[in-house]
Amino acid sequence: MPAQVHILLVDDDPAENLIIGALMRKVTSYAITLHYVETVEDALGFIRSSGAALDMVLMDNRLQPQADFRETVPELRRNGYIGPVGVISSSISDAYFQKIDDYGVDFRIDKAELDPTAVEFILQEYVKRDVSAGQ
Amino acid sequence: MAVLNQHFRRYDFEGDLEKALNRVDFFRIFHTMALRYGFEHFGVLQLANEHETSTLAARLVLHDLPAGLAETYDKRHRLNDSALFRSFYKSTISTVWQASDHDGHNGSSAEGADFIDQIGFDMALSIPVHSVAGTRYIVLFLGDGDDIGRTEHFEICYEANCAFDYFHRQVLANKAGMGLTPRETEILRWISYGKTASEIALIVSVSEHTVNSHTATILKKLDVVNRTQMVAKAIREQIIQ
Repeated sequence: MPAQVHILLVDDDPAENLIIGALMRKVTSYAITLHYVETVEDALGFIRSSGAALDMVLMDNRLQPQADFRETVPELRRNGYIGPVGVISSSISDAYFQKIDDYGVDFRIDKAELDPTAVEFILQEYVKRDVSAGQ
Repeated sequence: MAVLNQHFRRYDFEGDLEKALNRVDFFRIFHTMALRYGFEHFGVLQLANEHETSTLAARLVLHDLPAGLAETYDKRHRLNDSALFRSFYKSTISTVWQASDHDGHNGSSAEGADFIDQIGFDMALSIPVHSVAGTRYIVLFLGDGDDIGRTEHFEICYEANCAFDYFHRQVLANKAGMGLTPRETEILRWISYGKTASEIALIVSVSEHTVNSHTATILKKLDVVNRTQMVAKAIREQIIQ
């Protein structure tokens, strides 16, 4: 039985929830439950209510009303979230993406590069639950 | 980490390499490289002494193989016995292994198809690489293609060498003696105050994973083995008071 993993997607475009949800279902070595909220405020509410169950936050780089990850991720950190945060963007080549560590971001990934193999790799790196043990 | 001048020719992949920060970035670089040249997966293996028992899972320092594949391979087969593994110690020339090697029409008889058969692919390409310190690694690509053309082979070899060089310097290198960054010094100071990784994560507004990753880098840079020795050495060297 594959390991259970809870991921929170924060994206103001509900279509992304459908696309990334379909992608997560293709990952075979983890049983991923994708939770979805549209704003950072809702993400904070989700984190407070779900407690330790959340394994990772995937966040769209640009979310209203904030500008980009430099404003959104510190907001999560200020509120005490210390789990892994990945930023998804359609372009990660802008210079400010070199400073992800300063803003509490663990990794960045281009939307075009997010495939089931990439998701498995990221979970292996950041969640590291023994996939064979199903913990 | 712009430490290389224009004499180190990196063509159009310089941009991506210069911007790569962590293992996820190098995963992205090697993974897209594999797909671009018609492979499905990659693995970077660290080589040890030829006669030391090597398991595939333990040798892989970065890879995108399906979860559990390397461990399953190791349960059933011995990497040391494969013709692919032995080739790493015969020459540093890149090797190509195909399912058609079984037919023996290329003069190598069945030798060589064992590894790809066992791991379940039709083709493997190995590119021996090394760090500036001389430690040896293999960049391995696996897929179900038939063959790779000469031009593509030359290109992937050059590209894999460049990507590995950055990966090694940025992620794998033993950084003993290198200075700590301001963030590392900050984390070291909180460790010296007895704070746990999760407490430090809260204080400096990063993830616990990032704190652990910085701590591992500090251990390497100070050339110490645990947090106690780390703090003792940092005080001795007046990095912290």
